[in-house]
Amino acid sequence: MRRRSLGIGIAVVVLGAGLLLIRQGGDRKSGHVERPAGAVTGVLGGAADPRFTRAYVPRPFTFPRDHGPHPDFRTEWWYFTGNLATAEGRKFGYQLTFFRLALAPGAPNRRSRWGANQVYMAHFALTDVAGKRFRFEERFSRAALGLAGAESSPVRVWLEDWTARQIPERPERFRLAASEADYGIDLDLARLTREVLNGERGLSRKGPTSGNASYYYSLPRLATTGTVRIGAARFTVAGSSWLDREWSTSALEPDQVGWDWFALQLDDGRELMWYRLRRRDGSIDPFSSGTLVEADGRCRQLTPAQVVLVPEGSWTSPKTGARYPARWRLQLPAQRIDLAVVPRIADQELTGNFPYWEGAVALLGRDGAPKGVGYLEMTGYAGAGTAGGK
Amino acid sequence: MTGSEAPLVELTGVAKSYREGDRERVVFRDARLAVAPGEWLFLVGRSGSGKSTLLNLVGGLDLPDAGTVAVQGMPINRLSERERTLFRRRHVGFVFQLYNLIPTLTVGENLLLPLELSGQLDQQGRERARYLLEEVGLSDRFSSYPDRLSGGEQQRVAVARALVHRPELLLADEPTGNLDAETSRQVLDLFERLIRPSGATMILVTHSMETVRLADRVVTVREGRLTEMTAGVGP
Amino acid sequence: MILWRAAARHLLRHPWQTVLAVLGVALGVAVVTAVDLANETARRAFTSAAQAVAGKATHQVVAGPAGIPEELYRSLRLSGIRECAPMLTAPVQTAAPPYRTLQLVGIDPFAEAPVRSYTGHFSGPLLETLVAQQGSCLLLQSTAAALRLRPGQPFTVESGGRRVLLTLAGYLDPPDAVTRLGLDSVLVVDIATAQEVLSQEGRLTRIDLVLPEGEAGARELAALEKLLPRGTSVVSAGARAGALDRMTRAFRLNLTALSLLALVVGMFLIYNTMTFSVITRRSTIGMLRALGVTRREVCAGVLGEAFLLGSAGTVAGLLLGSLLARELTRLVTRTINDLYFTLQVTGVHLYPETVLKGVLLGVGATLAAALPPALEATGAPPRAAMARSDIEETRRRLVPWAALAGALLMAAGGGLFFVSSAGITGGFAALFAVIIGYALTVPGAVLVLSRLFRPLLGLWLGVIGKMAARGVVVSLSRTGVAAAALVVAVSATIGVGIMVGSFRDTVQQWLGSWLRADVYLRVADRGNARLRPVLDPGLVRRVAAAPGAAGYTLSRRVSVEGAEGATEIFSLQMPKSTFIGYRFKEGDPEAAWGPFSRGEAVVVSEPYAYRHHLTVGRRLTLATAHGPRSFGVAGVFYDYGTDAGIVMMSRGAYLANWDDPGVDGMSFYARPGVSPGELVAQLRRLAGSAEVFVISNAELRRATVQVFDRTFAITGVLRLLTLVVACIGILAALMALQVERARELAVMRALGLTPAQVWGTVIGETALIGILSGILSVPLGIIQALVLIYVVNLRSFGWTMELSIDPLLVLQSVALALVAAVLGGIYPSLRIARSLPALALKEE
Repeated sequence: MRRRSLGIGIAVVVLGAGLLLIRQGGDRKSGHVERPAGAVTGVLGGAADPRFTRAYVPRPFTFPRDHGPHPDFRTEWWYFTGNLATAEGRKFGYQLTFFRLALAPGAPNRRSRWGANQVYMAHFALTDVAGKRFRFEERFSRAALGLAGAESSPVRVWLEDWTARQIPERPERFRLAASEADYGIDLDLARLTREVLNGERGLSRKGPTSGNASYYYSLPRLATTGTVRIGAARFTVAGSSWLDREWSTSALEPDQVGWDWFALQLDDGRELMWYRLRRRDGSIDPFSSGTLVEADGRCRQLTPAQVVLVPEGSWTSPKTGARYPARWRLQLPAQRIDLAVVPRIADQELTGNFPYWEGAVALLGRDGAPKGVGYLEMTGYAGAGTAGGK
Repeated sequence: MTGSEAPLVELTGVAKSYREGDRERVVFRDARLAVAPGEWLFLVGRSGSGKSTLLNLVGGLDLPDAGTVAVQGMPINRLSERERTLFRRRHVGFVFQLYNLIPTLTVGENLLLPLELSGQLDQQGRERARYLLEEVGLSDRFSSYPDRLSGGEQQRVAVARALVHRPELLLADEPTGNLDAETSRQVLDLFERLIRPSGATMILVTHSMETVRLADRVVTVREGRLTEMTAGVGP
Repeated sequence: MILWRAAARHLLRHPWQTVLAVLGVALGVAVVTAVDLANETARRAFTSAAQAVAGKATHQVVAGPAGIPEELYRSLRLSGIRECAPMLTAPVQTAAPPYRTLQLVGIDPFAEAPVRSYTGHFSGPLLETLVAQQGSCLLLQSTAAALRLRPGQPFTVESGGRRVLLTLAGYLDPPDAVTRLGLDSVLVVDIATAQEVLSQEGRLTRIDLVLPEGEAGARELAALEKLLPRGTSVVSAGARAGALDRMTRAFRLNLTALSLLALVVGMFLIYNTMTFSVITRRSTIGMLRALGVTRREVCAGVLGEAFLLGSAGTVAGLLLGSLLARELTRLVTRTINDLYFTLQVTGVHLYPETVLKGVLLGVGATLAAALPPALEATGAPPRAAMARSDIEETRRRLVPWAALAGALLMAAGGGLFFVSSAGITGGFAALFAVIIGYALTVPGAVLVLSRLFRPLLGLWLGVIGKMAARGVVVSLSRTGVAAAALVVAVSATIGVGIMVGSFRDTVQQWLGSWLRADVYLRVADRGNARLRPVLDPGLVRRVAAAPGAAGYTLSRRVSVEGAEGATEIFSLQMPKSTFIGYRFKEGDPEAAWGPFSRGEAVVVSEPYAYRHHLTVGRRLTLATAHGPRSFGVAGVFYDYGTDAGIVMMSRGAYLANWDDPGVDGMSFYARPGVSPGELVAQLRRLAGSAEVFVISNAELRRATVQVFDRTFAITGVLRLLTLVVACIGILAALMALQVERARELAVMRALGLTPAQVWGTVIGETALIGILSGILSVPLGIIQALVLIYVVNLRSFGWTMELSIDPLLVLQSVALALVAAVLGGIYPSLRIARSLPALALKEE
């Protein structure tokens, strides 16, 4: 679902406010961005562009082909997050996400090599827990001239020099590399699970309208090793990552304004994904959904009735003024899960063209004992509360 | 008149000459003259004898080449141009042969100008200007421009202007020179009526014998020398 | 204050004198303001256009005529240089009325953020349309309205002789007024569309970079330079903008100097008016002094009056100037378009700096001009202030001193001409020194000449003639200044006239040697740009085989970017006879042909040699496609096409160094017996449907001279304005003089002069001033022409011209002075002749 947030993000950014970039000159301080509601509902809402395929029914997934792009759908993302630590216990969180947005279906028929129907956006964030510092960058590029793109054999997604790729001789592994002036990652991800299909055999319905759905699968636990760079200092790290893959043409209903998404890796070997859709009137949408992966790999679809989720306290962003829940209490009584979801640091807000909160969290039991790690995404809290963008 | 009193005007060893083309014309070589306070001294002599020059020297309009021109004991030829001008505006009144009213100011404004310059342009000053204009019989011409007035009328205004700021010293350069006998009499009558009572000292240049009768003392200017003619026949 | 009332009434009592003085200041200020506004408007339009297109870029990667391979952009991006944006840009013309040249700017919207800010808010699908739909473009709403376009509407543009269909996708929404101004003639498209429209697939015009300041920037720059392939280089954006600014600086400075000339003449006029005003009131001032008004008060009164006149004139001048500026801006922009680059100016605004300049000049000049008479009025002892002949005598005594000062000033100015390091500004300073120095000697000259003329006039007109001549001498205090003002103005028209005439003759002679072929062919292109799109190779082959042609040449004119701006390279495949026919300033064409044709050496145009300090035997380095290469200079040839200068090389050398086989121009020599007209017809037939422009030698020459005349239209206008100021000056001076003499003339009438005789005296006197001024202005005019030709133009543009003096022009100017002077005498003489002597006698 966070992907959905991203879905909204990319749709808004590229279609709506994208040229804002042209004006803002990438000025991230001006966090307030006007997001035209029409674009959002147009892409994720009911009035989907008929030139694109929509997700109506479950489909067979084939890997590694489905790791690659699905250009017949309007939006798609590759969403890597993870918790890392050095041998000494210095903790980091990272997010490297690639979003694809189709401007038109099919391949461009242009004489210029700049001709492109696909646009990519990527977010790269690093949480330095000990340094209490959150860094992030945002990039855009058209899929042209080799500047950005996605391929399936071997799997490769990139936006300039930010890349996520499968190593051909070791197909169970991904290599992530992204570098900015004062931070960077170079990570090796080895999958510990098979692909988990969320929703109904990978068809994740977001609303009652037929076709308002996405294809959604996850690799909920990837053993991760590599280096994190802060400034000139390099840290050898290890930890676990999570990959979410989702593509759709339209998903959100008009009255869905935001969501809270949890990707949690429990120390007991279970993984829990849960997203809660919030409606304009403040109620929780019944299409909120999740998946619990048992330690043996069996999956269980979750419904709102099984999950108790309570926000606790609040944190106000100094940059956007948005008020986010400061931490959460998450309970699945039937599964004997009772967790406090606590951000590693309070400010893990991405104040790009589409502001949202996404960061590393620790899981604590009732007694305060560590129970696992995860990533939390909260959208729809920033801005003036317009539809979709919230 | 009373010889013991300090003179109001005193010229000592005054020399003055002018360049005219290539030649130098000597007006005075070593002129001396003393005028007592309240005295009316009339200067007579041929045209070009230096009467007007003497008047200009006393009024600080011109400077001697040598000697001293003192007024009220102040050697005005040693003052700066500015000090001399400030001295003049306060203590000296002029009446010229050619009236010399400012053509772009009305009769009234011509009268008020000396008051303004000497800082006396207050209600009292205005009343005095009105009074003087009435005295010279032109109270209805306050707002007229000088060129609407006859010569005699202009000269009457000029007399009023010379008196308006109550100067101690009046300098008159042939004030009746341009006027007919009747008008001349009127003007002289004004002098007698307005100036005498004020006790002001006057130096007057004239050609007219009729005028001379008003003088306390008459001095002839001839070839740069000043010669006392007769004792005055004044009051 | 009663004192001020007197001064104010004086002005009101002499309304014509007041009006003329105000008019003089107003015209002077108007001309300076208008030129300044025109210059400033053009400069700002250019700067904002350059800024809008360059954005925040600190550096640019540029290359030769073929542009930059687009792969370079990807390499830069992938190597971590992220604050960069590609651009492909070229002028295009709309194919339907109103025909306009627009700058097509192809950008990658996704890369623009750090570099540029074209637009604020976009409605939903605009970006999607721009990128994904071929041919989509954006314009300012105002530009679209001017072109009568609405979103969704297709329209055709021409580029390189091809027609391309574009669709207006939406409007640009610039974030600020400056950007809006800069985008006025910009057509924004996606870079893919740009490549397709311009047929430049795979190519970029440049890559804009934003590098950090200081050491980090230097490090990035060093890293960047390692990535650049041969033939590309990185230049500082400021240096480029500066180069363009420098290009027009000389042109703008020339206009400013001409406008200052009008002000100098205006100052003479004010001086004249104020002197007169003081002199006519000498008796009043004497009276006031006798009444005890101090010198300072009198001086303040005169200056206050001048301030009043100056302020009124300045306000009127600013208003008039801003009106005039509209027309001048059009002329200035047209000249810049003809000579330098495409510029579109939509509005003229009254800039605060310009207003300030106008106020300082108008009020300041008036006060400066009124100072001497003010001092003079108060300098003399009060008694003397009442006598007029004293003033005249003092003046006459000053005449030799003024003449001496003038001579010294002229000598100083003359010396400055030879200090070539003083540059153009020095040249103008020297010119002004000479003009003012000369003006100072004018009263003396009038004195001497009047004495010479007196017997002549006596013979011709008898006593009246003698009286007229004597009147000029006697009232020199006013005639001298009036004559000086007239001399300055008339000499300026003579000087500028001779300069333009010489230039025109020189250009015509040059065209004769430069355009040697019978017929010329190039791509039809409505734009005025010097650089033209290439011809279709098939077309070149077809027309080269024209049966009526005995021979042909192929040419290509390109602009090669370098660190110090662009160099225009003209390459030509031509026979030796053509080469030898060019007029060389330096070097022997016979000797130069060998190295030139072998591609070892180039020849450079005179302005290029001047700007880059090149002489025969030295070498110059050009950025070729294979990296920097040094060429010998085999000759310097005369060329008046561009003041930036060009480098000419053989086509072989160009092909070898730039790998660009394009041809953008061809010329043909007709076979014996084939007329140019027939050849033109043949070529048009062979060209078929291709949009080409075929023109005969004679037509091309005519068109070129037309452009020349258009360029100098503004000079003519300024010349005229200066003359108008002078005419008003002489009119005011003479009228004042004659009205002041009314009493004297009335005495003459009383003595028995008939009205006609009085009229004759007055007209005779003013005519004498006119003739004398006319004659005196000729030497100064010729001096100015010499300075303009041999100092100013040479230092501004590096052009040598041959002096050619048109006697008719000189005669015209002298006649003009005479007419202006006589006109100045008509009103007062009529007035005096008609009036009753008694009235005049009563006055004063």
